[in-house]
Amino acid sequence: MNDTSRRNKKDLQRLLACIPVITGPCELDLLVFFYRHPRSILTNEQLAALVGYDTKQIAHAIEAFIGAGLLERTQTSMHAARMYVLVPEGPQLGGFKTLLDLASTRQGRHDTLELLTPGRAGPPSEINAKRRLRVVA
Amino acid sequence: MPQADLVRTGIAGLDEILPGGIPRGNVILVEGTIGAGKTTLGVEFVYRGASQFDEPGIIVLFEVSPHKLFRDALGFGWDLEKLEKQDRLKIVFTTRDVLRQELQQADSVLLGEASKIGARRIFIDGVARLVGGNGTPETRSAFHVLTEGLQRENLTAVLAVEASFNDGNVNGTFAEESIADTVIRLKMEDTQRAISRSIEVVKSRGQDFQMGRHTFRIVDGQGVQVYRRVQAPRKASRDRAAAFDPDTRVPTGIPGLDELLNGGYFLGSTTVVAGISGVGKSVMALQYLSESARRGERGLMLSLDEQVPQILRNAASIGIQLEELIKNGLVHVEYEPPQEIEVDVHFHHIERLVHEFKPKRVVIDSLSTYGSTLGTGGRIFRDFFHALVALMKEEQIAAVYNHENPEMLGMASMMGEFALSSLVDNIILMNWVELGDAFRLGLTIAKMRANPVDRVTHECEIVNGQGLRVLPRTLPAAKRPFSSYAGLVSRAPTRRPREREEGVSADGDRME
Repeated sequence: MNDTSRRNKKDLQRLLACIPVITGPCELDLLVFFYRHPRSILTNEQLAALVGYDTKQIAHAIEAFIGAGLLERTQTSMHAARMYVLVPEGPQLGGFKTLLDLASTRQGRHDTLELLTPGRAGPPSEINAKRRLRVVA
Repeated sequence: MPQADLVRTGIAGLDEILPGGIPRGNVILVEGTIGAGKTTLGVEFVYRGASQFDEPGIIVLFEVSPHKLFRDALGFGWDLEKLEKQDRLKIVFTTRDVLRQELQQADSVLLGEASKIGARRIFIDGVARLVGGNGTPETRSAFHVLTEGLQRENLTAVLAVEASFNDGNVNGTFAEESIADTVIRLKMEDTQRAISRSIEVVKSRGQDFQMGRHTFRIVDGQGVQVYRRVQAPRKASRDRAAAFDPDTRVPTGIPGLDELLNGGYFLGSTTVVAGISGVGKSVMALQYLSESARRGERGLMLSLDEQVPQILRNAASIGIQLEELIKNGLVHVEYEPPQEIEVDVHFHHIERLVHEFKPKRVVIDSLSTYGSTLGTGGRIFRDFFHALVALMKEEQIAAVYNHENPEMLGMASMMGEFALSSLVDNIILMNWVELGDAFRLGLTIAKMRANPVDRVTHECEIVNGQGLRVLPRTLPAAKRPFSSYAGLVSRAPTRRPREREEGVSADGDRME
């Protein structure tokens, strides 16, 4: 690992610590999707298909984002599709752009996923997430 | 009749083809192949509305990420993010299925969002695959649902639809075309390895519009620019402009020539100076502009042959400091490379120059270059020239067009294959005459409408530092004058009998 890579990894750790709602690849990819599509009307199934995770993970991540004040969702029970609006000035989003920049390279994404799921052993578990937070702390 | 409530598109040139805009609430179908400019046109429609006409808008995307749209729009100088922050624009990403369901719902989230910001315009990018392209009752019904939903909110909607064209016609039947109120077709046309874009209004309910295919361009930093086709009718005053001032003359500034022209060209007249390359047409043109400046009048030169620095150098060689005249705002010289001229764009440029600079004289150098660029066989060249003549007449400009006649000695025809003589008021022929072992320069006024003209060939000379002048009919005995010869333009001049030579006998006899 060279100096730049080490420095970037440290930055990534710091940024991920500021956005605790990103606990795994699904959250990261879904947040990236909402960042690029800040106002969308979609069903959970469509979101899952577009981002590439199962609907349960997506539903869980969405609730987490809404809980953290990063995302708003229209409450229209009549529709299967909901409107999602990313809150641009939402908490935790300050460093998100920088995180995106760092994670936009192949190495950067690899490092980010490594931090989120050490050993790249499938979807993030609670243990992994806690371990990551310990490392950051 | 009540005045129609028109929505101005704000797209440069489009509101001239759709005079004043599009009736409010119309559903506008924009058809085109990939890369034709549908998205740019649709986004600009919404952007102009939100930024210039206080009409907020919605953009609905199915495939393009809003982030990319922000980036691309910035290239045209459109800050969509800023408009979003000001609640004058909302960009919504969805799927076609969701949109169709949305517009069927009384409590549509999308239309609710539109209502929140008071949206008056909407652009939906990529409608074709929403309803299919086979014209079945189902597709008609689906499109109906879409348009009904939009009309419920009185939104003026632009719907981009992907279509392929074959020989100018849409391939397949599109139910959308019959249901939509306005249909606009965008095309990319292949002309001798160049690609040009065209826009055509196929139909537009509730208004008249200028038919035919007009040129358009997508310009960095500006957006869509539509140029009316050169043949499209302009304002009525242009066609009435032929009744020009019958008295005022525009002197050429060429010693000896104005006497032959009864004082100069008429205002609003069209003059062609024809002759082979190097015969002095451009010299005449520069003197014409210089004379204009001397009189405190503006003169414009449009060159397709020589670039501006070269023209400045040519002018200096005959004692005209053109750069100074340009700095003083009396002369404007414009060079446009003749390769791949798009005639509608070019004519629009000339119109704008004429309206902004307001010249009294215009020189165009040269007609023959237009001929070789646009081709003289079809109607385009003739229509272009006709439009040019009408513009100059309307603005009461005495216009001079240089025309390179390919014949070195004499002339078999005045305008050759151009066949434009009927549109021209004055024709001046310049050609070489071979006498003995020397080429001498001859000038003949072959045509001058509403003027007596002697059609005598006069000798001219171009003097370094001074320019062109027409020599008197009598010359010092050392040089035999043109009046000593007959058939000067026939390529085989012959000496006249000695008693008929003006330079020798003093009777001033003419050639007729």
